[in-house]
Amino acid sequence: MTRTAEAGRRQAGPGTRQPRWLWPTLAVPGAGWLTVLFLLPFYVVLAVAGGTVNPLFLNAVPIWNPLDWQSGYVRQVFSDLFGASAFLGPSVLRTLLYDALASTACLLIAYPVAYFVARQAGRRKGLYLVAVVAPFWVSYMMRMLAWQNLLQGNGLVNHALTVAHLITQPVNWLSGMPVTVILGLVYGYVPYVIVVLYAGLDRIDGSLLEAARDLGLGRTRTFLHVTLPLSRQVIYAGALITALPMAGDFYTNTMLSGVPTTNMIGNVISSSLSTPGQGGEGAVLVLFLLIVMLAPMIWYVRSTSRAESGDVL
Amino acid sequence: MGRAHMNRHPRERRLERPALSRRAFLARSAGSALAVSALGSLLDACAGGGQASPSASGTGYPLARPSSPVSWPVTSGDVIGSGLEPEENATLQLYTWEEYIYTKVVDAFAAKYHCKVEITTFGTMNEALAKLGTGQVSFDVFWPTVDVVGKMVTAKLLRPLNHSYIGNIDQVWPQFQNPFYDQDWHYTVPYTVYTTGIAYRKDHVSQNPSALANPWSMFWNPAYKGYESILDDYREGIGLGLLKNGVTNLNTTSQAQINQAKNSLVELIAMDKIQVNDSYTAIPDDQVWVQQAWSGAIVSAPSELPKGQSPGVIGYWFPPDGRGPVNNDTMAVLASGKNPVLAHLFLNYMLDYSNAMENFAWLGYQPPQRQITATGLVKDGFIPSNLASATVLPSYFNAGYRELELSPSADLAWNNAWQEFTAGT
Repeated sequence: MTRTAEAGRRQAGPGTRQPRWLWPTLAVPGAGWLTVLFLLPFYVVLAVAGGTVNPLFLNAVPIWNPLDWQSGYVRQVFSDLFGASAFLGPSVLRTLLYDALASTACLLIAYPVAYFVARQAGRRKGLYLVAVVAPFWVSYMMRMLAWQNLLQGNGLVNHALTVAHLITQPVNWLSGMPVTVILGLVYGYVPYVIVVLYAGLDRIDGSLLEAARDLGLGRTRTFLHVTLPLSRQVIYAGALITALPMAGDFYTNTMLSGVPTTNMIGNVISSSLSTPGQGGEGAVLVLFLLIVMLAPMIWYVRSTSRAESGDVL
Repeated sequence: MGRAHMNRHPRERRLERPALSRRAFLARSAGSALAVSALGSLLDACAGGGQASPSASGTGYPLARPSSPVSWPVTSGDVIGSGLEPEENATLQLYTWEEYIYTKVVDAFAAKYHCKVEITTFGTMNEALAKLGTGQVSFDVFWPTVDVVGKMVTAKLLRPLNHSYIGNIDQVWPQFQNPFYDQDWHYTVPYTVYTTGIAYRKDHVSQNPSALANPWSMFWNPAYKGYESILDDYREGIGLGLLKNGVTNLNTTSQAQINQAKNSLVELIAMDKIQVNDSYTAIPDDQVWVQQAWSGAIVSAPSELPKGQSPGVIGYWFPPDGRGPVNNDTMAVLASGKNPVLAHLFLNYMLDYSNAMENFAWLGYQPPQRQITATGLVKDGFIPSNLASATVLPSYFNAGYRELELSPSADLAWNNAWQEFTAGT
């Protein structure tokens, strides 16, 4: 037993000693939840990816025994991604590009907002937070439909731009413009980043900032040398929390574009899962996306553990 | 093994686009080896839209064609007896597309036959068949598309009809009293008919499609760049490419024709930024000016226009001689249902002219009723006068082009072409 742990136990005293089973027991609901709602569905995806197809109706037939799993779908998707007649490359590249741009934009928008709410809003902090969370009260579909309305040829956006003499002809925002899709993603996910960044920025010890000011740092240098480094982990978390779901997003694209040249990998997965005979390929693509997304996840976990061990701030 | 891919349905409000190939599926099937290696010979065998024999079709059952009608086998023991009373204290279970039947008509049926009726809906035919195929559900009435009738009969999901309960069959067009896809209507009765045409905004489109040498080529006019859409359906989409190129066999198995159609669609992406969606509101919302559309959907479009805008702003073109894509839907009694007598009576009820028309007024998709005349739907207010061309006439089913079930190999060729287009490469 380490000295710290021993000291901790001594401090707790005999009257407050916790039974060994208490903390593992508290984890049971979470573990059960994870098992039922993540591990089991994940296994179903694996079983479908290694499974076969109903010959008459073409729906996916999972194979539950891993020893019997077939590799046909994996090989097919690999061929579609990297083979001589590959056609999924552009969708994958578009996904990475849109995701990177939208995540960066989310951070650039969210950070000042979160900073203001956490450090400057004072007693109105709660009010601002509610305002930030308010978009969650309206369903994503409704918000996208609203944007369809705003962005259409005779919509308010074109009207405003025309009145401001920024355009002479209405812009067809909804016809395969990557910028519309990217901004749609930003709009959809930015509240998540704000909340995450706020949680991190709010926890920064104010005395550290005061110390920096006392030692002669101006506002800008205090921000650059103290606040920003201290919020690095939460920036990573914010980026991750948007980048992961964005990578699988298909709805934003469908609602705000509909043109094949803006298709993302989420659209490909969605359509393959609902197309007869392609359930297995869809399952493999889900796994492919998971593997791709594991890389930033692992990087984040390592970065966090390094930060906790004091290697970096 | 392997069946042709099910056609999309007008009520199938799918948001996503098919994008992947079915090569994997075919490659792992026993029949697929034959399908792939002997693709050329199979395509030749099926060329001309003729019926493929069960072995040549690769489906295990014949593919119905107008030139090769199919009479599905009936096991007499599966047919209910004549003159039976409706089930008592029953709840008739309907399994249909979302928003595909008017609840007021359904309620009237329930009141007439002193039963309850429950409606369960599905979003795609694929989803519905997968559910029915489990054998764990017991719906009474189902709405199969023409292209799945064969596989449903083969899987013994449908109950053969006892015609004595369905006297109203004489109210529908004669061709549906003995349709090529179900000779002697052993399993199905017709529900709706529809055409696939061109919907357009008259305030933006100065061209009259009828005045063009080939109206289907209208989509390739750069004047409408960014304001065009085609249906998110591999059969309708590739079908448009075929029609643009003058090919009228919408079940073609010619790889060259399919490739040519695909190349024409790819041109549309580069040239016109064509959208691929089934939006019912794109035309009334002014998001799209030229749209490949189903007649049943466009009939409802004027009601979606902003207040104050004239319904006359929307036009719909379909060849007046009927030489365009046409199709129909059916109703059938499911073998697993617990109320087969009520199910028969329900089919009969929906074939009655007044009930069918009440349903049509709400639905927008036209029933093939004999009493409907070429001008009657406009005169009676079912269809706005500017959309009179959305009226479906019996003659269209003689002259028109139908998208029917394909053999797996031909379906593969169509799917591959479509995915190359939708991948946006």
